[in-house]
Order: sequence, then structure tokens, then C-alpha cells
Amino acid sequence: MGKRVNGTGIAVLVFFLLLGVLISIRLTGLGSNFPNPIGGVLQGVLSPVEKTLLQLGNGIKSNSKGLWDFRGVQIENETLRKKVDQLTGDNLQLKEQVLAGMRYTELDQGQFRNPALDKFEKVGATVVNRNPTAWYQTLTLNRGSKDGVAQNDPVIGDLGLVGKVVSVSATTSEVLMILDGEGQVSALVRNSTGNGTFGIVQGTYKRGSRLTSEGNLQMLFLREDVVNVGELVLTAGRGGVYPQDIPIGKVKEVKLDPSGLLKTAYIEPLVNFDNLEEAYIVKMVGGK
Amino acid sequence: MRYILIAVMFLLCLILPGTLFHFWSWSGIKPDLLMLLTIYMALHHRLTSSVLWGFGAGLLEDLYLGRYIGMYTLSLMVVAFLSYWLAERWYRENFLITPFMVFLVTAAGQLVVAFLSLGAGLPWSMGDIGRLVFGVSLYNAVLVPLTYPLIHRSFLHGWLRYRPRYER
Repeated sequence: MGKRVNGTGIAVLVFFLLLGVLISIRLTGLGSNFPNPIGGVLQGVLSPVEKTLLQLGNGIKSNSKGLWDFRGVQIENETLRKKVDQLTGDNLQLKEQVLAGMRYTELDQGQFRNPALDKFEKVGATVVNRNPTAWYQTLTLNRGSKDGVAQNDPVIGDLGLVGKVVSVSATTSEVLMILDGEGQVSALVRNSTGNGTFGIVQGTYKRGSRLTSEGNLQMLFLREDVVNVGELVLTAGRGGVYPQDIPIGKVKEVKLDPSGLLKTAYIEPLVNFDNLEEAYIVKMVGGK
Repeated sequence: MRYILIAVMFLLCLILPGTLFHFWSWSGIKPDLLMLLTIYMALHHRLTSSVLWGFGAGLLEDLYLGRYIGMYTLSLMVVAFLSYWLAERWYRENFLITPFMVFLVTAAGQLVVAFLSLGAGLPWSMGDIGRLVFGVSLYNAVLVPLTYPLIHRSFLHGWLRYRPRYER
């Protein structure tokens, strides 16, 4: 006689399956030190292929754009983009001279210099993959624990903060970008007199504009705090993850909340996350 | 050869969305290729095999992502089950119905991901979830006319065809 399907049995099975999965998700969430040797091996084996594919994608993107927009426009666009990056760097340099409290000096080989970062060792890395799902804003770098990278190490681009390392395999590390709502950065806005207003910068990728490919940043202030458009946002160095005075972005817009008690500053990141190909991982453990 | 090909397809589905499809994403939305492949596998296998393929694919993705272990394992098992269930009712060689079915099943799979994420305490707004679920499902459905005829033919007559031991 065949077994009969019991409705209650199925319901109990589904309940416990769901409960087990939810517990597992909780235990292995972002920032947990869940040992994942299989994932590490997978990342290690696949990262060279991913790097090649990403370069191939970059090539296809550039060439297909050229087909539609004409090659000349494309070259002009690239030149202008580089110019904008250079000017943004120059702008940073000028602002730094205005801000008496700030001490980071001239751009050195395309990367900003910051006394707070000088005491740490930095390791250059290439972006080999982006998150394969549309649910997170992470990217994979080709440096891992073999290179001394550890969880929570900050990652910086040529112009400013990119994010922090959330998981490390032997040869790769996964970086949670500051655009993602899961990551928060304690920051301060420096005005032209050098005074700072503290706050928390949060990515908006999980909020209103979650589906815009660029993402954005925002910061909450009290109504009486003086924050103006164009001012520079830097890391505050509180919280133990990010060193002090790494540029994050510029205040693009300031809006008063409907409650009238708070105001939100919308911040334009200095780093172009969509075209990011190289970054530096700051080794926080051990220093230089 | 069949299993090597399937393994390569699974690995490609794992890495392509983060690499090539990063450049062809539309408003941040990219296809869920592993979910699409799981649906194709379920359309050409029995129920138990389908769910096991879903389990394997989901676990592979969870381990590759390295966090929230179980989220994709459960989602792809549900996707495999639903695909098999629908394929039993709808003619699987009808290439007009398949995109619609892929749309429905992907939407269900993405909803399970969203539900589990909310259950795990991740703060996502309903509007964003709706747009993401619709966008990924539509992207997967659009890829069906380009991929399904080839995969289906391979499952029937090509390298992906299952041959019992005695036939081999």
C-alpha cells in the first residue's frame, strides 16, 4: 500500500524548513565570520575568468557605444571624463588648501594623499566582479587573505572612499560599497572655515532610488546645523572602521524633512562607482 | 560530457550577471541566469531531480555569495518545483508559453528571495521589491527566445540529453 500524503505533515515540514533557512540566513548574514572554504575555493578559481569577462564587457561596452554614438564622440567623451576626474581632483586640492584643518596634500600618482592613511599599508587591487544579483551593491577585488587583507579593511578609489571589505577568501575580497544602505559611515561636513558638522552617511541603494544604477548617498542633520551645497564630506574616523579625513563626496542638495526637525543632505560621491576598475585596500591590522 | 556541460553552464550563470550583464543592466536590474537555468533543468527532469538540481544550484550560489546561506537554496528549490508543476500542465515545446512561464516562475522565485530577506531583517521597501521582481522576471523572460530553443534541442537530441546506463 502506497504512503498517503499527510497535509499536516507537509505543513510541519515546510514550517521547519522555513525556520531553519531563516535561522541560517540570520547566522550567516553580512559581517558574520561564517567560515566558507567552498566559497573561497569557488572565488579563487573563478576570479581569473571573471576578470577576463569584466574586461571583455568593458570592451564590448566601449565598442558598441562607439557604433551608436560615433567613435569621435566616444573619444571626446572619454577625454572629457578624464578631464572631469582631473578637475575634480584639482578642485579637491584647492579645497584642501582652503581648509586649514585638512592636511592631505597634492595628488600623488592619481591617488589623494592623506596623513591619516600614510601610517597604514595599502594594497592595490583590480575589480574582478560585481555582485551577480541585483539585490546588493558589492564588488569583488583580486586581493585576499594571502595579501594580508582582512574583514572590515577600508577600500579607497583614486578620489575617495569606496567601501569596506565584508568577506575575504585566500585570493579575493568582497567589498560592500558605501552606496549600499547596509553600510554606514560616520562622517563630517567641512565648511569653508574649516569647521565640521558630524553625521552618518548612508547609501540610498535600498531606499527610494534603489534601482538607479549609480546609487547615492545621504546624511541627516539637525535643523540648526549649517550645511551648504558644495561642501566636502569626509570620514570622521569614529567607529573604528574608516580612518579620518578620507573624502566621500560633495553636498549636492539640502532638504528639510516634513517634520521640520531634521534636514537631509544628498551627497554626490567623488568616486565613479559604475566605472571603477582599480582600488586600494587599506590594511588596518598592523599598520606600516 | 553531459554533467561537465551542466557544471560549466551553472558556473557561467553564476559569474555572467556580475560581469558581462553588469554592462547590460537596465536601471540596476540584471537577469537571474541561475534561476533561468534551474527553470530549464526543471522543464526537462522529473520532480525529484528538478528539486535536487534547484537545491544544488541554490547552495552553489549561496556559497559563492558567502552569506545568507539558505536564501537561494530554498528559492531555487521552490523555482524548480513550480517550473515542474507548470510544465506538467502546459506544453513545454510551446515557445510562446515558455517566456510567460519563465516570467511567472522567476517572479515567484524573486518574491521568495524578498520574503526571506525581509524575514532576515533587511530593510527593503515594497515599491523597490515590486520593481526589482518585475524587472528581473521581465529580463529573464526576454532571454527565453534567445536561449530556450537551443537548450531544449540539446536536452532532446544533443549533449544535454539524458541517456540511461544501458544505452551508454
